[in-house]
Amino acid sequence: MAFLVTFHWGWLLASLLLGLAMGWIAVVHRAQAVSKLASGWLAVLVAALVAAALAHVIPGRPGYWLDLGLIMFALYLAGCAVGSWLRDWVLSRHAPAA
Amino acid sequence: MHGLFRWSSKWWPGVIPLVVFWAIAAWTTTPPLESDLAARSAAALKDSLLDKTRITVAGRDVTFAADAFSEDGRRGAVASVAAVPGVRLVNDETRLVPEAQPFVWSAERDVVRVTLGGNAPLPASKGRLLEAARATLGGVEVVDQMNLSRGAPPRFDNAALLLVDQIWKLKDGKITISDTKVSLAGMARELGGREAIAAALKNLPEGFSVAANEIKAPPYIFQAYKDPVAVTLTLTGYAPDNNIHAALAAAAGRKFFNEKVVDNIKASLGAPSGFSNAVVPALGALSRLSTGTMVVSDREVKLSGDAFYDAAAAQIRAGLKDFPQGWQFKADISVKPASAPVDGTVCQQLFSGLLAKGKIRFDSGRATIDPDSAGLLDRLIETALRCPSANIEIAGHTDADGEDGFNQALSEKRAQAVTDFLVKAGLPAERFTAMGYGSTQPVATNDTEEGKAQNRRIDFVVR
Repeated sequence: MAFLVTFHWGWLLASLLLGLAMGWIAVVHRAQAVSKLASGWLAVLVAALVAAALAHVIPGRPGYWLDLGLIMFALYLAGCAVGSWLRDWVLSRHAPAA
Repeated sequence: MHGLFRWSSKWWPGVIPLVVFWAIAAWTTTPPLESDLAARSAAALKDSLLDKTRITVAGRDVTFAADAFSEDGRRGAVASVAAVPGVRLVNDETRLVPEAQPFVWSAERDVVRVTLGGNAPLPASKGRLLEAARATLGGVEVVDQMNLSRGAPPRFDNAALLLVDQIWKLKDGKITISDTKVSLAGMARELGGREAIAAALKNLPEGFSVAANEIKAPPYIFQAYKDPVAVTLTLTGYAPDNNIHAALAAAAGRKFFNEKVVDNIKASLGAPSGFSNAVVPALGALSRLSTGTMVVSDREVKLSGDAFYDAAAAQIRAGLKDFPQGWQFKADISVKPASAPVDGTVCQQLFSGLLAKGKIRFDSGRATIDPDSAGLLDRLIETALRCPSANIEIAGHTDADGEDGFNQALSEKRAQAVTDFLVKAGLPAERFTAMGYGSTQPVATNDTEEGKAQNRRIDFVVR
């Protein structure tokens, strides 16, 4: 993992920034929300992929691509969480003043 | 916290560019990642002892194939590849180098090249052997057909290096190590090569032994040519050492009283046993020929030439006394055409001339003719045959040492011994009278050793 981070820091940073931007937008965005059922299935899918990556089930290049995708996705999610939280915090500071 | 769940349901649109990023990242980073991992895996194996190492990387999975020389080495190599940062999986395709049973190594020499074949225990020892072969052989081509195998006996490298050093001494042949047994076959490049190899084999490392040494040497040649025109005896070929060389030269000097000895003998090891015991009598036989050649090749002595008279030819053909065992003597002797008859006066001059150049020698204090005098006696006999009508007195003389009575008897016996020799050679007994004069007719002073030597003599006097 440490190796992936040092080798791909540019792409990971890009994922993180993308996540921050998406999280920043998501708080006020009017897009259609993912249903609870669908997000449950998505969580199961991601968990299965993480399990496959940890168990080294997928060999060769696809295995590497899976690892890369998951770590980019993880940083994207982290970026989204931080971005949303920051936007929410900024909004809540402005609201009482307004 | 509840807010986070709410917001997260709207995070999905960013996944679309994320997937695009991911695809580009996977596309662009895979080849550099793979080559980076391959380079670092190879670097991690730098100190491992392996043969035929092959590393292929797919994604972060390394397929590692190699031949290892021990189980520990094999496991260690796999572990060091697995420990390279970034490597996810190692597909272990390593194996142990096959074990050779028996462990055979060979070095074969022919006219143009040396081929090292069979098994070598490690790449390093293979390299050392090739390097040593190239160093000892100079410009000769060295071909490597060695495979790497396990199962070499201890101290194999030392033994093989010692044997590689022997290859240049061979003209052609093969040296083989089978486990700890060493076999050699072939032909030595020069005389003494076989002996030098045998001496070197004594330094084989502990545990190794010579199973068969069938190195042959080129024939050991010694030649003597008696040239009646130049009045020389030319010695060529080899003698085993300086002592034997000196002894041969001295024997030639004694036996060839008339000829100048031209000594071109070189020293070399590898003489067959009994060399000087065979060559000295053969030189004696050559001294009895008017012209002739003696060739000693290994244990065969070939003598060819012309004897002075029939009986001498027969005696020489009959072979040599005291010839060492295992030696062969081949004589191809003809008889020199008889010289023109002369009268008694000329005969006397010829006798005097011969006896001035050489003397008939006897064992000290006895009447046994020294074999070294055979050549001189043959020429005296040839001369006597040229004047068949002359009667000859064989006169024995001694020096003044010792009692007169003993000297008188000794001179008589010696004169008689010479007469007997002449009669045995086929001359009629009635032509010869044996006379002993003791020390009564000195030709030089008896006060010096030189004078005494001159006084001890046999004279031929035509009556």
